[in-house]
Amino acid sequence: MRTFASLALGAALALAVSAGGTQAAQGKRVKVTGELIDTWCYVTGIMYARGTAHHQCAVWCAVGGIPVSIRGDDGKVYMILKVEGDATSVAAPKLVTIQSHTVSVDGDLYVRDGVNYLIVNQVADDKGIVNLTHKDYGIVPFGE
Amino acid sequence: MKRMILTMGLTALLAPAALAAEEWGIDGEKKARFEAKVVDILCVITGDCPKDCGAGKRQLGLLRDDGKLFPAAKNFDPFAGTTVELLPFCNKRVLADGLIIDSPKARLFALQFVRPLPDGKWRRADRFGKAWAKAHPGKPAGQWFRHDPLVKKIIGRDGKLGIPGLKAQ
Repeated sequence: MRTFASLALGAALALAVSAGGTQAAQGKRVKVTGELIDTWCYVTGIMYARGTAHHQCAVWCAVGGIPVSIRGDDGKVYMILKVEGDATSVAAPKLVTIQSHTVSVDGDLYVRDGVNYLIVNQVADDKGIVNLTHKDYGIVPFGE
Repeated sequence: MKRMILTMGLTALLAPAALAAEEWGIDGEKKARFEAKVVDILCVITGDCPKDCGAGKRQLGLLRDDGKLFPAAKNFDPFAGTTVELLPFCNKRVLADGLIIDSPKARLFALQFVRPLPDGKWRRADRFGKAWAKAHPGKPAGQWFRHDPLVKKIIGRDGKLGIPGLKAQ
């Protein structure tokens, strides 16, 4: 019996290792509402990184392959790894064209090492860009 | 922003002599050099693991031996990520050099240099611009973001503010 248990444990560990070296966790079903942002500019705070003021830069960064996140209404940052079945997260066609929009999504949340990773199962609502920050900040960066 | 780009440019010029992370003046940044495996983050998180780490279409990260996973969000080039830098080392071990951005919003890694283990040469993490120039012959590569066809299409359609017809003051 002990031998069987050891074999079962070994098999389970082998499966875990095959999944990228660590055991994949189960996601938590969530609904997130917030603004699509460029993760780097927003997290580092190197410039004002929300709304119309930062839209052009947010498109540059998304096309350049920097992760796109949702800045949730709860203030948290949710880094998107997959959208509606498309595992593309580098210059993802479904994200670059709606950058800076305020959206509501249903997804699966995985929290690891200080990062909220989000698998977006469905974009349930897209309100477009509603955060008119250019009135206060102009165009960021470069002012043009 | 201009100061940061200038700093990054100077750092890139001095890189062959230094080959060590340079500060970028970001709140919460810490210079860091560590061994790690280059991983497809979606694979690590969910177990969906194509052999090629997504062939450049997925975000890549650095998985340290202590189990800590860092999304490699930024390289040396302006407005560019790290997939071009790290994809050649998919599921391989590297020595990564750069900045850990330890923010309450998220923990990110800015890759400045990378060396494949056990005995590869250091590479400066500035290959995005070169790869972009190769993929877009005839276009000026200096400011790739002003000449990229997809960027021009989106900004041409929606405007710099993202709302058609809306102009900055």
